[in-house]
Amino acid sequence: MTPLLEQFLSESHEFSQGIGQKLMQLEDQPGDRDAMDELFRLMHTLKGNSGLFAFPEMTRVLHAGEDLLGMVRSEQISYSRELADRLLAAMDFVMVLCGDIEATESIDAFRAQDSVQIAESLRALMPAPAMAIHGASGAATPAAAAASTAAARPDAAPPLFAELPEAARSEAIRQSQGGVALHWIVYSPTPECFFVGDDPFHRTRQTPNLLWGCLRSRESFPPLAELDTYRCVLDFHLLTAAPREELAKYFRYVPDQISYLAVDPRWLAGERLESARGPDAAASNEDLLPGDAPPLAENTAQLPPEVRAALDTILSAQRKILQLDDRPAWRPGRLKSVAALLANLAMAAGDASAGDAIEAALARALASGQVAPLLEWLDSSTLDASKPGVIPEKETPMPGQPDAPAGVKFGRRAEDRARSPEDGVKFGRRAEDAYNGPKSLKVDQAKIDCLMNLIGELVVSKNALPYLAQRAEKQFGVRELSREIKSQYAVINRIADEMQGAIMQVRMMAVSFVFQRFPRLVRDISHKLGKEVQLVLEGEQTEADKNIVESLADPLIHIVRNSLDHGLETPEVRRACGKPEMGTITIRARQDSDRVVIEVVDDGKGIDPAVIKRKAYEKGMIDEAALERIGDREAIDLIFNAGLSTVEVVTDLSGRGVGMDVVRSAVHKINGSVSIESTLGKGTTIRISLPLSMAVSQVMIIESDGQLFGVPMDHVVETVRIPRSAIVWIKQSMTAVLRGRIVPLKALNSLLGVSAPPRANGDDELAVLLVQAGGEILGLLVDGFKETLGLIQKPLGGVLSGLSAYSGSALLGDGSVLMILNCREIV
Amino acid sequence: MPIEFKQDCALFADVVSVEEAEGLLEWLQKQPSPKVDLSACGHLHTANLQVLMAAKPEIVNWPADSALRAWLESALNLTT
Repeated sequence: MTPLLEQFLSESHEFSQGIGQKLMQLEDQPGDRDAMDELFRLMHTLKGNSGLFAFPEMTRVLHAGEDLLGMVRSEQISYSRELADRLLAAMDFVMVLCGDIEATESIDAFRAQDSVQIAESLRALMPAPAMAIHGASGAATPAAAAASTAAARPDAAPPLFAELPEAARSEAIRQSQGGVALHWIVYSPTPECFFVGDDPFHRTRQTPNLLWGCLRSRESFPPLAELDTYRCVLDFHLLTAAPREELAKYFRYVPDQISYLAVDPRWLAGERLESARGPDAAASNEDLLPGDAPPLAENTAQLPPEVRAALDTILSAQRKILQLDDRPAWRPGRLKSVAALLANLAMAAGDASAGDAIEAALARALASGQVAPLLEWLDSSTLDASKPGVIPEKETPMPGQPDAPAGVKFGRRAEDRARSPEDGVKFGRRAEDAYNGPKSLKVDQAKIDCLMNLIGELVVSKNALPYLAQRAEKQFGVRELSREIKSQYAVINRIADEMQGAIMQVRMMAVSFVFQRFPRLVRDISHKLGKEVQLVLEGEQTEADKNIVESLADPLIHIVRNSLDHGLETPEVRRACGKPEMGTITIRARQDSDRVVIEVVDDGKGIDPAVIKRKAYEKGMIDEAALERIGDREAIDLIFNAGLSTVEVVTDLSGRGVGMDVVRSAVHKINGSVSIESTLGKGTTIRISLPLSMAVSQVMIIESDGQLFGVPMDHVVETVRIPRSAIVWIKQSMTAVLRGRIVPLKALNSLLGVSAPPRANGDDELAVLLVQAGGEILGLLVDGFKETLGLIQKPLGGVLSGLSAYSGSALLGDGSVLMILNCREIV
Repeated sequence: MPIEFKQDCALFADVVSVEEAEGLLEWLQKQPSPKVDLSACGHLHTANLQVLMAAKPEIVNWPADSALRAWLESALNLTT
């Protein structure tokens, strides 16, 4: 991957997020000009960047988005939720493409179709004249529509299929019998494609596995003096034996101008088209086939007078229907019915190829919301002998849509494109873009991790100096040197500490990284659930280690979803309870000494401990005795167990009973803890407490049977010495009473499979380390306590990774290895 | 020059690019009975093809490249 592409990807992520944020900001304050300008700028820049690479799929979508925003900005169309939804979906698509590029440095060819669809859905929001400006979609639609309707009637071969010369036909039959799927392609380049450096003829000739092809002009050529050399009016019809994916890839720059039709082997069998059209039409079909726009007069003129009269009546009725403008909402339906009727009439009159032209006209009419294309067809068609000289209204614009002269803009657009390479204004804008950039470096995380490892080693080797000083004094008897080593050590120690702090700072990240996805999540889910929810984010600037912040994302999403789905009530229920209709979810982060505390607070219906207890009992998680015994608090804690769900119906949001279990295990994995408080009818608070950094952990060192072990300070409750006489045996277990509380005791040696008994000190007291493991307090009998140290824990690798008794290892100053016990696992 | 204009005959050579189309059109308009020799032509841009289709000059030689010849024959004979 080139550095340029890397930069592009990382910027694209930023831009897409920025665009998402701005879209939502605009939803709250639709009139915010600054946000609108910023949004447009982001979209514009992103599109420009994508154009640097060969990612037409991405550029196409962004271009449509940019055009759409341009119209919003100039107040031609207004901002709506629909618009925001489509743009957000488009940005999601762009992110998917970025993911593809990251993985393979290219975009799969099959994305092209999606990209066209998304671009079309964006363009569909623009008023009709805008559609015409962008010939890319506007002009190509009819052909595409015509072919796609042809695909919908699989038994009908395209008219030009009959032109296939015998040599090509036999080759096609041979391929087809060999199991090769053939494709009929209609390629309709946009009229202005020459301006973007396209050569459709060249592209056509290079089509993979081309069997045969022909080209047709979309319109008859004007006299030479009026001919526009730079306007493409040709359509290409191709028969190819290449697989669909290869074709999609080959035509990836122009997917919107291509339509595919799988070739039915029956077409090749020499039956021609008769079977599909009926015997009467067959004779005229033979005559009609050579031309794209065949003369119809011969056929209609031959009609008997009474049929002719009926035809005229029907056609004039269609004209009237088309010109009605009483109910704009009904227009699409009317257009479709008129088109269907005209197609049938044409078929009956023996004009088979008119069907496609009508379909094309219909597609244009539907896209633009205007009846003109169909009226034009009526005018040009010789079906209608009673053409009225004057049509009362040439174009009936949809109400509320600006009626701009499309032709004028058309020309200007072409000029713009031709001139854009040396367009100085645009470059000026790009220069400004960089001006606002943050003053930060982008560094690969691996480099920071490497730095972190190095400082870890420095800390360890620095700790060797005091041992060296001791040896110098005791073994070699040079006190002077020993003192000097110690003073040097103090200096190195200070620098190393500061360095460690500085690197930790680099790894620190604001939790807003995780928080920023919630506005979108809450918006989407609450819309889906029909709930009114206000999201309040607090303490977004609170910082923690990058790994911690990142691993926070999943649990938080689960919690917020749960709150939305189960916690908050629908507006009606809330009103009935006397609460404001709009529910509130607060996500709050704050630093609490060396931990980060994240709270998700909702003001919903709370959790009913009785319901939880009953459910847990039904699922067999607790027995009857427990049902009676456990208090409300413990009952609520039961929701963290796997398999418990209080909802009857599983939705796509929640209810599978895995959510809170996932939350707890994810939080535990990063040495965090999670707790829940709930008041019935008032709301629920879920609190996650996490270490600030995973890099350095505080560890207490203990000794047992001559070996040193580390216990994370997070688990240490206290250290006590208990006289042997105070230990009470209950069956096989040792217990002791400490401050009025019965504490089970276990010997560390026996837990680790060491046979030596715990050693007592001179007063026959045993050292007991009270640890918290899995919510319970337990006493570990050890031989002695040592100091606590800040250590950089390394996970166990290779075969050792299977040892669950240890959570990791660390190097001590004298070079020895300290194993860190995993308290949850060993007890 | 991909197109060489000799009195009433235009000789196409190699690849005839989009820039030639305008000149070709002008030349065709001036000639009372233009002829086109495509024998040395390897490819011509769509724009040129359109001009030929619209002007329908007499083709004195078809391209040596058989694939191109097939394309052009079908396209140019269609309009004559």
